Order: sequence, then structure tokens, then C-alpha cells
Amino acid sequence: MTPVPDSIVFDNVSKFYGEVLGVNRVTLTIPPGITSLVGPNGSGKTTLMNLMTGLVQPSRGDIRIRGVKPSEPEKLFRFLGYATQFDSFPKGATGFGFVYGSLRLLGGGHADAEKLAWQAIEQVNLVEAAKRKIAGYSKGMRQRIRLAQAIAHDPQVLVLDEPLNGLDPLVRAETIAMFRMFANQGRHVIVSSHILHEVDMISDQVILLSNGYVVAEGQIRGVRSEIEEHPMQVLIRCSRPSEVARRFFEHEHVVEVKLHSDRGGLLVKTRDADRFYRLLNQVAMEGVDIDTVAPADDDVNSVYTYLIGAEEATK
Amino acid sequence: MNQLPWRLWAAQVAAVMRLELKKSFFARRGLWIYILAAMPVVLFTAHTISERADVEAVRARASITPQQREEIREGMSRDEVLAKLGKPFSSETRRRRNNVRETLWYSDGQAQFQVILRDDKVVQTGVNQGGSLGEDWQVFAAVYQYFFLRFAIFFGCVGVFMNLFRGEMLDKSLHFYLLAPIRREVLVVAKYLSGLVATTVIFTASVALQLTAVFALYDSNTVDQFLKAAGGWQQVWAYLGITPLACLGYGSVFLFAGLLFKNPLIPASLMLMWEGVNWFLPALLKKFSVIFYLQSLCPVPANPMGDIAAPLRLLASTAAPTPAPLAILGLLGLAAALLALSAMRARKLEINYSTE
Amino acid sequence: MAVYKKSYKGFSGALTPAWSRFLVLPRYSFARLFQSKFLFIFYALCFFPVVGGAGFIYAVNNLGFLQSFGINIGDAVKINNNYFLAFLQFQGALCYLLTALVGPSLVAPDLANGALPLYFCRPFNRVEYVGGKMSVLFILLSAITWIPGVLLFLIQSSLAGWTWMADHWWIATGLVLGSVAWILILSLIALACSAWVRWRIAAGALVLGVFFLGSAFGSAINGVLKTEFGTRFDLARLMAVIWGDLLRSDTDLGASAWDAWSTLLAVSILCVWLLDKKIRAYEVVKG
Repeated sequence: MTPVPDSIVFDNVSKFYGEVLGVNRVTLTIPPGITSLVGPNGSGKTTLMNLMTGLVQPSRGDIRIRGVKPSEPEKLFRFLGYATQFDSFPKGATGFGFVYGSLRLLGGGHADAEKLAWQAIEQVNLVEAAKRKIAGYSKGMRQRIRLAQAIAHDPQVLVLDEPLNGLDPLVRAETIAMFRMFANQGRHVIVSSHILHEVDMISDQVILLSNGYVVAEGQIRGVRSEIEEHPMQVLIRCSRPSEVARRFFEHEHVVEVKLHSDRGGLLVKTRDADRFYRLLNQVAMEGVDIDTVAPADDDVNSVYTYLIGAEEATK
Repeated sequence: MNQLPWRLWAAQVAAVMRLELKKSFFARRGLWIYILAAMPVVLFTAHTISERADVEAVRARASITPQQREEIREGMSRDEVLAKLGKPFSSETRRRRNNVRETLWYSDGQAQFQVILRDDKVVQTGVNQGGSLGEDWQVFAAVYQYFFLRFAIFFGCVGVFMNLFRGEMLDKSLHFYLLAPIRREVLVVAKYLSGLVATTVIFTASVALQLTAVFALYDSNTVDQFLKAAGGWQQVWAYLGITPLACLGYGSVFLFAGLLFKNPLIPASLMLMWEGVNWFLPALLKKFSVIFYLQSLCPVPANPMGDIAAPLRLLASTAAPTPAPLAILGLLGLAAALLALSAMRARKLEINYSTE
Repeated sequence: MAVYKKSYKGFSGALTPAWSRFLVLPRYSFARLFQSKFLFIFYALCFFPVVGGAGFIYAVNNLGFLQSFGINIGDAVKINNNYFLAFLQFQGALCYLLTALVGPSLVAPDLANGALPLYFCRPFNRVEYVGGKMSVLFILLSAITWIPGVLLFLIQSSLAGWTWMADHWWIATGLVLGSVAWILILSLIALACSAWVRWRIAAGALVLGVFFLGSAFGSAINGVLKTEFGTRFDLARLMAVIWGDLLRSDTDLGASAWDAWSTLLAVSILCVWLLDKKIRAYEVVKG
């Protein structure tokens, strides 16, 4: 395996729980930025995250997180923070105690740990509830305190299992902004999520998983363009849509054109995006006023539906 | 060796211990360990209080002379006893299907005189002169070996040490530690040390209080003489020293069992049986138990407590003594070996809460 | 808020009769319990002494059969109250082990997983819940104690003659009463332990501890305070006292039958109180 110092690398990794498949033959290189793991329940998202953080060990293959093996927690967790999905905490812990305790495990002193703990708690807006026991927290507060614990030591790699679950819209927006800020600083932010439009909004790249296999990885648009069996859909708002439709039909790569009911635009399905956009330029130069051109199905939802199936997508 | 980050490890061990000790000492679920440790203390305190009350009662209730006592023979009727000694200051009757058993108590001012009748006939008599420190020391030795070591410390260590890993696995909170930048080996040592400190403090304090309760019955001269002239201090220190060693030995066994087994109740029961049948084992196998070394260190050879109940009979064993330094080394060796195995096991530990 | 009255229909079919509704619990519990091979084998082994006991009764009543093997036992072995007491003591010990294995898994998982509200939001109350869970143990333990005990008694009666049966009917009564008392006390302790200690394994350890530690502490009390009061902490011995009394044995175990009955009754009341505190449809989380 070629070492890639700033990346997270999975090299032919498999994990079996007895006879049950966790993930199989995963080979990935994840660059810095926000990467979303997407897949139905039981597809292997959490297993992949647990493998990354050493909570489970691969049955086969090798994993390196910025050059460090997950079996070396003493090195790994100095630059990695993981907010798990486990909704359980040390008995009787307060929010502050939970974050502070984990910082003390780094080996630092009281003053540093206390300062960092308050900073992290402030970042997730939990200062007022920090001294209360976590047992009395709401689901959203628990999610936030887990996040605080994961970011408290300013990690370069942040792994977050369903981090937006249970958060209200305002906190959700703030949290997404924080992920973006982390990513812009050249860090890894790995998130798993079921909410596809959010994934679409925040991700630099996605990893689609199904039944323990990686079915696609990369930037959404790149992934979409490689799915040839589903023609790409483009929405156009323009003048003279009937005439434009007629022009499009002259080309064999255009498989379907639908006129909008308001006669102000049309939806085109094409097998060759590059040729289609060249054709569109030509049409525009011929004097057709084009207001907007928007891809209608190069989002995560469509990619997910095409690759994993409509049935799974509705689960 | 100098390149190893000892200072960092020490700081991490301290951090883990700070968290664990809070749980061990102050968690509500650990209350029963205090109760276990307090049981013999309560017992010896009650003994001291009741013995003092008895001495007062014997003095106050004097109604017969030592000569009158000698006149009571087996086979005498109840009426004859009452005619010779008069009304007892206390009596107890127990009716059984086939007979009636009655006990009468008299006092001659110095000692209690007990007459036991079955179906109105004297079957036994006895004189209770009051206890001596030597006698109480024997009782303490028996309670220490047959209750405190084999049950109180045993079950206390089961609770504390198995909870360190398996308990947190069941609480689904172990990942808190596994996601920290701490070597698994350091984590094992830190958790073991916190268990050891907790059990040692609780059970050694219990022994100290038991000894205080035993000595409190006697005047300072008697206690002084026992401690100084009769080698009492040596024995006191021995009991105070054996207790941490017991926690060390049992603790390492149960820490390892908690890491190895999903249901630690099975190894704990097997261990209880193994320690119990130690008496019957060949010399070589005896050495593979904790109780063998602990009993070798006990300064007073104790007989099993009088009337032992059925489940206890299984456990009534006496180990052939081993020289103290060897016994201590044996226990330390066992603990070190099991700790090393635990650390190896911890390196492979995975979080898979759904299968617990 | 929209209320779709027409689309919701409550269950209108026939309900299980209220008196037998608690039996729903053992039906599912047995299926789950016997998924464990260890438990299945252990339970099967519990019947071996019964088979052995029946063979022994047959042999003793047919001395000619034994003599054909060259065994002459004369009058040394008799089938009498002591024989049935030994049977009860042996099977009683097996009951104890079986309870430690089975008991904690009855209530602890329901509490740990917050399943009680699911039971109590149906026409099912707390008494029925406890009764249902106890019936699991009652059925399991009855099958290895008083049922085979009475069967052995009937075998002996048929072989020794009906006069023997008329003279010794109290043995059968003692077997039933002694077994039922033991089963009830074991079930209550196991359920109370598993209700208060939600960790199934710890609850099992507690069931073991109640008896072992009680016995050891009782002996310590007797040793230190020079009394027989400590025997009251030894529940197994108290039960043995009751069995001895019911089966008219003359062994002195350090407590009278009255002491034994009153102590076990007090323990039962304590267990019922503990169950009452924990078996509830709601839970208070202290934040």
C-alpha cells in the first residue's frame, strides 16, 4: 500500500462479525474535507467508522489514518475525535465532567483540560447545562455534548456518526457551519447521515455503501456522470421552449424532452452531458433566451436511488 | 526504557484512577460492598457490647453459689433443678415434634450456668466464665478466614473488578476510554490499580475496625500484654497485610475473567468451587489458587466456624502452609501474569455492544 | 390536530380470559430459555435422580430382584420419610442452581430495556406480570420437585400396599407443601434480585450471594455471639428445618420450625415489597 500521509486509507479491508458481513473488500482513499458516508441501515457505515477508530479490528486488510494505524490509540486519538452513535455515557457524568475527563486522559494538566473543555462546550452552546448530569439531557443535548467531546482537543480528523440527529434546525445550521470551517482548515470531517439533502449540502465527497460494499465514492457530480444507464436530467427555463425541444430531438443522445405546463421551460434527459451542453450553447447563440439551466438529478438522492435502489431509498 | 513516556503514562493512570475511584467509592451500585465489609465489624461490635452487658448481668443476677452448681447432674428432672437452684434469670423453650428442649440460665456472680433439658430431663450443663482475648482472637481468625477472605473479599472483588471492563461493556460506556489516546495496556493497569485501591481501602479499613472492636472489650493492660508479649502486633500487621494481598490476587483473577468471558458469573462460580475444593487438591494444583497463598500467610490457624452450613462445608479447607515470602511472591506473580494476559486481551478488545 | 376516527379501530376480537392471561408470559419465556443448550442439558439432568429414585424404590420393594444380583441389604434400607427427605434436599439444591440460572433473566432484561410500559399499556397488571414471571419458575421447579416426589410416593404406595399409603399420607403432603414453599421463596428472591439489579449477570450473582453469604454470615454470627440466631440468615438451612419438620425428621438444625416459617415469611414479604417498588409502568430519570 502506498502511504498517503494526509489521507485516510482503507486497503482491501473486510470485517466479519462471525458469519455476518460488516464491510467487504473496502479500498478507499479519503482526502481532507467533508466526506459523507451514505447508505441504508446495516450497510456498514458505523462499521467503517469503528474500523477507522480501532473500536473494531479488521478481519482482513490494512487501515491508515494520516499514516497511523487504528491499533495505536495513543497516537491516533491525539489528532482524531470520534462522536459515536452510542447513546450511553459514564455513570453519573455531568456534561462538563464528560468532556473534561476525556481531556485529562490526554495526559495534560487540570488548567488546560478545564479551559479546553469550556471552549468546546461553548462551541456547542451547552454552557448552561454543562454542570448537569447527562442522564437528564435531551437527545439533542446528548448529541451536542458528544460533539463537544470529539472536538475538544482540536483534532485534525473528526469522525461523526449521525451527528445531526436530534438537533433543532438552528443548531443544525450552526453545526454544519462548524464542519465547513473544519474542512476549510484542511481537516478531515467524516460524517454518516441518512438525510440526503443535508449530505448534498455539506459534502465535498460521498461514499455510498450498500450491504457492506462501497458502491460509489467521490464527488457527487463525478459519481453521477458515471452512471450511464440513467440519462441525466437537465431543467431549462427559456423562451420558445417548443422550438428548443424540436432542436434537441434532432440529436440521438437526447432521449426525452418534457415541456413545462406553464410553457416557460422544459426538462431534458440526455445520455451525453458534454454533447448536450455544447448543443445548448449553440441554441443560446441562435437567439433563444435562457434564464436558468439546472441539473435535476445530480444530487445524492438521485445517485443513491440509482445505485442502491428506490426501495432502499424509501426505507 | 528511558525513552518510554513514563510521565505521560503516570498522568494517564492518574486520570483514569480519578474517574474510576469516584465510581468505586461513591456509586450507589457499590453500596453493597460497604455492607459486605461492614458485616463482620457490626458482628464484633455487637459481641463487645453484648459481652459487656453479660458481665454486668452476671454480677447483678447472682442467685446461686458455685457449690449449688455442682449438685446438678444429667437425668435430673426440671422440678428437681428448680428445687435446688430456684427460678432461673432467663429461659428459652423450643418445641419440636418429638420433644421439648428448654435452656435455663443462672448466675453465681462470676459465671453463667446453663442447664439444658429435653422433655423435662437434664441432658447437659455448662459454665460460661466469659470470654478471653485468646478465645476471641481464635474466633476472629476463623471469621477472617472462613467469612471475610472467602466470601466478603471474594464477592467484593467479583463486584469491583468484573465491573471494570465487563460492567462498562454492559453499560455501553467502555468506548469512552477506548477513544482516548491511551495505550490499552496502560488502561488495564490504571483500572486494575483503581479497583485495588478501592477494595484495599474498604476491606483493610474493615479489618482495622474489626480488630478495634475485638480489643475494645478488654482493658488496656490485657491488650498491651497480648500485643507486645504474645506477638500480637505481628499478627495484627499480618491480617492488615493479607487483606490487600487478597484484593490483589482475587482482583487480578476477576479482571481477567471480566475481559475474557461475556458472562463472568460462570468463571466466578467456578472460582468459588475451585477455591472450595482446594483442600482436596494435590499439592501441585493447590498452588493454582489464591486461597492457598492467603491461608499460608494467616498467622493463626483457624478451625472452620463451629456448625457450618451445607454450602459452606464445601469450602471448609486448610491449606498446607508455605513460607510467607514465597506466598507473597506467588500472589504477586499470579497477579502480574494475569495482568499481562489481561493487557494482551485488552489489545484485541472490540466494542460490539449489541452482542452483550 | 387531525383525528382520523374512522381509520383507527381498537382491537375488537376476543381477549384471553383475565384469570389465565398471565400464562402468556411463560409461553414465550420457555421458548427463549430452552434456546440455551446448557440450560436444556442441565434441566434434563435434573430428572436423573427421579429415575434413579424410582429404580431404587422398585429394588427395595423387590428384594428378590436385588438378591438375584447377589446383593443382600436386609432391613438396612427402607423407603420412609428419611428417603423422601433426602430426595427433597437433593432436588431442592438443584432447584436453587436452576433458579440462579433462570431467575435473573426473567425481569432484569424487561427493566433494562424499558419494556415494562409495553406490558402495562395492555390489559395486563403488575400482579399478573409478577405472577406470570413466577409461574415460569413454578412450572420448571415443580416438574423436578413435588410432581416427581408425589409420583415416587405413589410408586412406593403401589408396591408397598395401600395400607402403607394410608399410614404415610403426610409424606406426600410434606413433599408438596415443602416443595411449594421452597419454590415460592426462591422465585420471590430471584425476581426481587433481578428487579433491583438490572444487570442479569449481577442479579444471578446476587441470588448466589444471598444464600452463600447468608449462610456464611449466619455461621459467623453463631461463632462470634455464641448463639443460634445466625441460623436465621441461612435460608437454605431454614428450609431444611421446615422439610425436616414436615417429613417428621428428628435432626436438630439450630432453629425451630416456627423460627424457620416466620423468617421465610418475613423474607417473602420483603421481596414482595421490593418488587412492588420496582415493577412499575414508569421510570424516573434523575438528571
